Order: sequence, then C-alpha cells, then structure tokens
Amino acid sequence: MTNIAGVLLLVSVIGLFAGAPLAILSRRLGYAVTLVASGLLVATAILVLAYGPVTAISWSGVIAEPESMRLDGLSAFFALTAGIVWIGTSAFSLDYDHHDTPWLAVAYSLTLGSIAIVLTSTNFLVFLAGWEAMTLASYWMILEATGRPARTFSAAFVFLAFGEGSSLLVALAIAAFYSLSGGFAMTAITVAGPVTSLVFVAALLGFGLKMGIAPFHMSEWLPIAHSSAPSNASAVLSSTLTLAGVYGLFRLLTLLPEGPSWWGGLLLIIGAISALLGALFAAVSEHAKGLPAYSTIENNGLILVALGVALIARAEDVPTLFAFALFAAFFQALAHAVTKATLFLCAGYIERSTGTVDLNRVRGRPKGADAAASGAILVASLSLAAGPPLAGFVSEWMILEALFQSFRFSVPALQFLGLLAGAAVALAAGLVVVAMVKFLGFTVLWKPVATDRTPRRWGLSTPIAALATVIVALGVLSPWILQFLTPAASTFAGYSLTAPVSGLLAVPNGWSIVSGSPFGILSPPALAIALVLGLVPPLIYFAFGGPRKERPTPVWSSGRAPSAAEETYTSFGYSTGMRIMLRGLLGTREIRQRAGPAIAAEVATPEAYNVDLEVLDVFKVVYDSLVRAALWFADGLKRAVMPGRIGRYLAYILVIVLIVMVYTALAL
Amino acid sequence: MSAPPPAGGSVPARALTYVDAERTLALRTDYERKETIFERPPELSSEDLGLVEHWQARGRPHRLPVGESVEGYGVFTFPYGPVTMGVPESGAFDIRTYGERVLELVPEVGYKSRRIASAVVGRVPADALLRVERFAGNFSASHAAAFLGAVEVANGIRVPEEELWTRALAQELQRVYNHVRLIARVAEAASQNVGLAQAHALAEESLRLMARTFGHRWAFGAFAPGNRFRRLGPDDRRALGERLRAYDREFASLWELFLGSRTFIDRIQSTALVSRADAIRWGAVGPTLRASGVAWDDRLRAPSPPYTDLFVPLAQGSEGDALARVLVREEEVRSSLLLVEQMLDRWTSVRGGEYVPRPPVEPGRGIVRLEAPSGDLVYDVRLADGRVAALGVRTPSQVNWPLFALGMRGAVFTDFHFALESFGLAFADTDG
Repeated sequence: MTNIAGVLLLVSVIGLFAGAPLAILSRRLGYAVTLVASGLLVATAILVLAYGPVTAISWSGVIAEPESMRLDGLSAFFALTAGIVWIGTSAFSLDYDHHDTPWLAVAYSLTLGSIAIVLTSTNFLVFLAGWEAMTLASYWMILEATGRPARTFSAAFVFLAFGEGSSLLVALAIAAFYSLSGGFAMTAITVAGPVTSLVFVAALLGFGLKMGIAPFHMSEWLPIAHSSAPSNASAVLSSTLTLAGVYGLFRLLTLLPEGPSWWGGLLLIIGAISALLGALFAAVSEHAKGLPAYSTIENNGLILVALGVALIARAEDVPTLFAFALFAAFFQALAHAVTKATLFLCAGYIERSTGTVDLNRVRGRPKGADAAASGAILVASLSLAAGPPLAGFVSEWMILEALFQSFRFSVPALQFLGLLAGAAVALAAGLVVVAMVKFLGFTVLWKPVATDRTPRRWGLSTPIAALATVIVALGVLSPWILQFLTPAASTFAGYSLTAPVSGLLAVPNGWSIVSGSPFGILSPPALAIALVLGLVPPLIYFAFGGPRKERPTPVWSSGRAPSAAEETYTSFGYSTGMRIMLRGLLGTREIRQRAGPAIAAEVATPEAYNVDLEVLDVFKVVYDSLVRAALWFADGLKRAVMPGRIGRYLAYILVIVLIVMVYTALAL
Repeated sequence: MSAPPPAGGSVPARALTYVDAERTLALRTDYERKETIFERPPELSSEDLGLVEHWQARGRPHRLPVGESVEGYGVFTFPYGPVTMGVPESGAFDIRTYGERVLELVPEVGYKSRRIASAVVGRVPADALLRVERFAGNFSASHAAAFLGAVEVANGIRVPEEELWTRALAQELQRVYNHVRLIARVAEAASQNVGLAQAHALAEESLRLMARTFGHRWAFGAFAPGNRFRRLGPDDRRALGERLRAYDREFASLWELFLGSRTFIDRIQSTALVSRADAIRWGAVGPTLRASGVAWDDRLRAPSPPYTDLFVPLAQGSEGDALARVLVREEEVRSSLLLVEQMLDRWTSVRGGEYVPRPPVEPGRGIVRLEAPSGDLVYDVRLADGRVAALGVRTPSQVNWPLFALGMRGAVFTDFHFALESFGLAFADTDG
C-alpha cells in the first residue's frame, strides 16, 4: 500500500508541475492535468491518513542534507485540504480562464506545484525554495489579472513585498533553527532555550505574514492582492497559500520542544485581534472578492486562537483541552480552506455573470442563473457565518468551546486572556454574520435582474456546487472527519491522540463532538437529521398540498409610483451603521465636495455635492509612518554618504567592513 | 449650509412672508426693525420665486426644493411614505443617504390636497368658513379667525370685541392642545412612555375643554354667527378658569418629569439644528423661528385685540435644535394658559365694545396675519358682491418644511421622528 501511495504522491507532484508546460500547448489541457494531479494528491493523503506516512523518493548529496518527498500525518492533512480545493479550482478554471495567453494557467500550475513542494519536503532548504517559488508564481498569477494595469501592478507589487518579507522572516526562523539542530533536516529539537523562542516568534511572524494576520494585514495587503487576482487564482491564494503558512507554523511547532505558555498567549492575542479586524473590515467591504479576502484574515486568526489554546493547554498540562483545541485548529483550517475557495469561485461566477464585483452594482443574481451556483453561494456564506450544521459552524463552535475552557489554566492572567480572546472571537463571529448576510443578500437573495450576459454556465457552477457539497458533508460528518484527522493531530502532538467524539443520550457513540470531559457536546449529524426531518412536512405540503394560493400584485412602495421603488438600498448603506458606530476603529471620515462650480444660493436650482465615506485602518497609519521614516532615513543617508565626496564614501565602507569583522570574530 | 451668504457677508434680516397668486403684492417681515412691509410691485429674487412656486403649487404631489443634490459612492434614495409607519399623515420623503445618515431630505407634499382655496371661491363667507375650518383640524381656530378677520377687513365691518376675545380664547386653547400633543409625540419618539401617556391625557383634556366651551373638540362652527353651543357665561368662565389652573399645575409637574429624563433631553438636544441665518433666509415662522433666536411673535409684533390689551410673554430660544423648539413650546403652553387667565379675568370689561378693523390694502381685500400654533398664518381674502372672489393662504407648515429638510442633513435615521415632531408640521396644513 505504501508503495502505491509513494508512486501516487510522486505522480501527483509531477502532475501539478506538468500542468505548466502543457498549458502552453493548451490551457485546458494544463488545467485538466492539475485537476487529475490534485485528485491523486487527495487520494495519496487519504491513504497516508489511513495507513501511515509514505516517502515517495529520497536523495542526498545535492544539498547539504538528505532530502525526500514525504507525506506524514501532518502534511497529509494539509495536502488533503489543498487537494480538495485544487480539484474545485482546476475544474472551475477549465471554463473560467478566457485569457488570450496561457500564462495564467502556467503560473497557476507552478503555484500549485510549489505549494506541494512546501508540503512534501523534509528539508528546510527545499522548503524555503518551494516557499520562494510559491511566492513568485503567485505574484505572476496576480499579474495576469485582467483590468486596469496600474491597479494590477500595484496589487502584485504589494503582494510581492509582503511575500518577500515573509520569506525573510521564515529564513530567519530556519537559520535560528539551524543554529539549534545543526542541520536543515526537519528533525525535532529536544533542548529548549531562548533561541527556540526566537525560532517560534520569527516563524509566527513569517508564516503569519503569509496568512495575512494582524499586524501584517496592514491596510489590506492580502485583500488587495487576493481580490485583484483572477478568481481561480484568488481562491488558490486565499485558501491554500495561506494554508501553506498554517502548515509551516504547525510543522515548526512539531519540531520545537514544548514551549512556555506565553507562546500560546501570543498566538491568542494575535489571533483574536486578526479575527476581530478581519471580520470588521469584511463587514464594511463592498468588493465581492475583497469581502472574502478579509474573511480569510478572520479565519486565519481563528486558527491561531485555537492553536494558542492548544499550546497553553500543553504548557499548563491540560491534555483533554490540548487535544480538543488542536482538533479545532485542524478542523478550522480544513473548513476555511474549502469554504473560502468556494466563496471566491462564487465571486468569480458573479463577476462573469453580472460583469462587476462591486456589491453595490451586483444587486441580485442574473435572471435564470443556475440554481447550483446560487445554492453554493448560500452554503459557502452561511458556513462562514457559522450556520449549522455546516463546516464553519462546527469549527466556530469548537473554537469557542475551547476558549470557554480557559478556566482550566492555572495562571489567572491566562484565564483572563482566554476570556478576552473568547469575547473577541464571539464579536468577530457576529461581525462576520453582517458581512456574509451582505454578500448573500446583495447577490442571490436579491430580486433577479436581467443582464445581457449569459448566466447559465454549467462549467463554472458544477465545481462550485461540488465544493459546496463538500462543505455540507464536512459539517454533517464532522465527528467522523475528526476521527479521520487523528493521525494529523497525533503527528503534531508527538503522541497518539483520540478524536474528541462520543455519544450521549439517544445519539449513538461516535456521532457527537465532545469538548472537555465532557464540557460541551454537539452532534452535527443528529442536528442535520433533525433539520431535514423538520423540513419534511412543509416539503410534503408543498409537493402534495394542492394548487398554491397565489395572487400576483404590483410591488407596494408605500403608495407611491413603482418608479420610486426602483431606488433600493445599496450594500454600502447596509454596513454604514457599522462605519459610523465603529468610527474609532475604522477611522471613518466623510469627504464632502462641491460637485460643480459654486452657484448663488437659489432655491430652485439645487447645488450638487459629492459625498464619500471613507474608512481607514489604524494600522495603516503606523505603516505609512514607517514607510516615511524609512524613506527619510534612506534619503538622509544617500545625501550624507553617497554623493561627491569619495573619501566619505570609502570611510563608510571601511566602517561597515570593520563592524562585520568584529562581529564575526566575536561570534566565532 | 447649502449656500454662501449673499454679497455683503451677512444675511439680511428680512424674509418673504407672503405673495399673492398674481404676484402683484408681497409681504415681507423685517426682523431687524420688527415690522411688516407691503411691497407692490414686489421685487422677487430667484430665491423668493423658488419659495413662491412651492407655496402656490397646490393640488398635486410635488417635491419641495431644498437647495442641494448629493451624489457619491453607495448613495441611494430611500423613499419614505406616503403610506407607511412613522409618517403620521399622507406625505412622503425622499431621503438621499449612504445608509444610516441623512445626506439630503426632500419632502414630497400635496397628497392631502383638497383644493380648499379654490373651493371657497364664489361662496358667501359663512359658507366658506365651513371649509376653511377644515383646512387643518388641529389649527382650525387659527384658520377660522384669520379668515374671518380678513373678511372683516375687506368689508370694513365693525366687530364686537367679545367676538374677538372668543376667537382668541379658542386659539389659545388650541395652542395649548397642539403644543402638549407635540410634546407627547416627541416623547413617543423617545419612548418616554409614562410621559407620553400623561401628555396625551393632558392633550385630550384640552380638547374636552374646547368641546365644553365651544361645542366642538376642534372648534368647528365655534365662530359661526349665532352658534348655540358656545358656553361662555359667568359660571362657565369660572369653571374653565379653575380647570385651567389645575391644568397648569399638572403640566408643570409633567414637564418636570420630562426635564428629569436624561434620555429624553439627550435625544432631542442638538438634533435637527436650524441656524438663525437659515431660519430668516428660508422664512421660518413660529416656534421654529423663535427657537433659532429671532424674537418675532405676531401676537406681539402685529397684534390685534385682545392681544393689544393683554400681557403676552415671548418665548424664545437660541440653540435652534429640537430641544429649543420643544422648550419654546413648553413656555408657550404656560403663556397661553396665562393669556386665557387674563382674558377670563377681564372678560366682563370688554362687553359691548366694538372694534374697527384696519383699512383694507385695497377695496374688498383683506390680508391678516396671526400667530397659529405652528407659526405665522396669512390669509388674503378678496370679496366681490359679498362672496369670496379669491383666497390666498400661506400656512406655517408650508414655510417650515425646508427648515426641517435642512435640519435633517447629517442626522441619522433615528433622529427623523424627533426632528419631524419638533417642527410641528402638518401635511394637511401644507396641502390645503
């Protein structure tokens, strides 16, 4: 079995890369190959989770350390998640990619392949190479966006800048790791020390940067970049590129010795702030792709929160909570990746069928749009809004349950931190509901509108619907999914865990998720059955209840002519209340400008004004001043050292060389 | 504000008060010199014309001009009314907004038009009175008194002074009713349920006093010649006086209750601000004008009996917000009760006297302005052969709508009801 799995893994990784040259021949061929390769990756991951780790090939001598292509429980989980997403995005791309050139398909394939390298490598040098290739290929993908070139370039540049910042920090983490282990191989370190904390912090910042978490969410580097990309690229970036960041963090934590509890505390703080800010900005976003991108920040924050609880629980020696929070983190990563990919593909569908990504102008699904896509939008946004019994609901419940148990920590400060994080997460969950209701309400729930575009696109809607089905299945079958993910969690823990599932009352054993011992209990399958049973009587009535009593009437618009009723609430208006109420956090300000020339005060001729309500990220102010400071310093240095006086310049070089020499001498 | 002040840097303290349908005669109020000016022929600026068009565009739904149009990202029009919760009468508003905040508000009036001004043409005054009284039920006494006054001026007939005192009594009682009811409605908008119930009870009490004294809750037919239901004998006056003293006490304790409620005050303070300059420029009248710091009350500045013989306190505010308007009305409840008390005290001394109206502006034409509960009301009656030949009316609600629209700019939706109620506007009064 392991031989088969090894071959499958090799074939799938080669297949992901093979999409690139094949795409030059034919875009569709390229996507089809990545589709098949993704399927193989999922199959491999399932085999690994079921039967144990597998090594496809290993070699040595090329680089300093032996290297192999390997999937263990942890990487198999991430490969499984990514593979599921890629099946959907590749199938979607078959019909979506209408570019004149094959380069989007090539970059897409390279991105997938390099993420696979990141997931399968056992050597940090290869990992870093894959990480860098992933960043560059994604950069290329964003560049391939259609639309205004200036915006695309700036979005891609922002992405690259933050991506390279991430690479730098990850390289720092790896260098610190090397100084501890003496090698680049992914082998566990046993000795704890201050440098392990350096590895942890550098890794958290480096991988966190990729995940878009606070304070690196900046004003929207991730939303700008992810929403500017083509939709298939957005889906890959937002769900699997950030997933690679999650994987990197998880992988490094498995290699580090058990850290102090402040590691978890740091994760809690960063995660909770990210979740809150991400949700807040999602709620005030008007962009059909920007909104899901902000939601990505929120979800990645939730992953960190769950991981933080797990780390604290491990440090505080609360094994049941550790296991539960860890499972919550894994399930959240899985649920988010699949759901977010679906939502981005939905945004692509909306863009294709209505010609806009501005929620103010989308205003309803096109007349005759296929029900599959509408249903998928419904499922994906409900799942992100934590609607039962979908995947997002289960993960949100698990994370909150884990936070509720912060009373099990022995240190009061940590208990309090858990409470604060719980409040922030709950608030974020509420804000996300606003965002998702907006997304849902201004697309599929709105009155259908006539467009000149062809709404029925089975090639687009089928993959979306398939992914939506996965979301439902993940939620309903979550107890079994959790059991299936046990090898992944056990790899992380370093010892064998059991999934937090049980039974209670009439619910059979294994049907319920149990937190604590037992603290809270939830049975998504039973909930799903109850929901379906509840739907049966009305469905029977509708099916056999005789002719419907319908009476068509004109739309009532408070007694005025319907022409006035055409004016409808904008999605901007839907969240303005939040912009105004939270103006302290959002930095809301109104800009009012005279639209025309000033005219004399006349009652009969109204003066025209333009009004704009802008929101601003508080962190952006910090970054802007950092940028200004850096520019000022560089400028000053340039003026002081560079020009004219060769002597001064030589002195500068001499001083630097001396400093480096002294440092090296001291270090040795 | 929408417009820069005209050349010279300051807003002239003059406002257009009335223009007749042919635009041959205009009434202006000079707030600096405290006098009314007749202009013939009138010099109408384009700004004046905008107002005049709206005053005279009766009989069809039309949007009131308020001087701005707002565009922007996410900005849309929120249609509100005419048949919807929260709009007490048939009238509508187009609210330009990007959600939550009112950027621009355009009232749409005319749904309640009954064409009363043209319906009375060709009728004898007694007949016309029946229709004029029904212009706006809660201002009926003012409309009737203004109409009758204008007819008397046009005819140059002497009026028994007791008749004038009766009209004033009815007007003051109705003012009490209107102001108390307005306070009740503001309380309702602020969910002050105890105060709301008490204020409504007091308003109902004033209606019953009106019914006992004049035979009708809205004083319909009260001033008709030979009204058999009027009860103003010595015993009736004594009973009314006693009842009103109790009323005064009850109102004072109720008002104390309101003043003690931070939520009530908070919600109306700084809501729907009307600056003094705006109030004058757009010709605001009544409590709206006085709350913005302009000391003008027709009972003081253009008085006719009995106000010439009575002590009339002037209620005035300076903040121009909803609280100031409510405070002005609260003071006016007191002053009206005081006026009624003075009238009842001195009733016997006026018996038998006769009042000669001022000379008409032209033969057969009478123009009367008087202080209705919501502000200055102008009636312009032309008579021919003892019948009404033409009727021009300019009601306080017509004038004050633009001020409401201006005051609402920048307010949030939830301010709407406090703001609307604080102006005491009535669609019936606007549409006619």
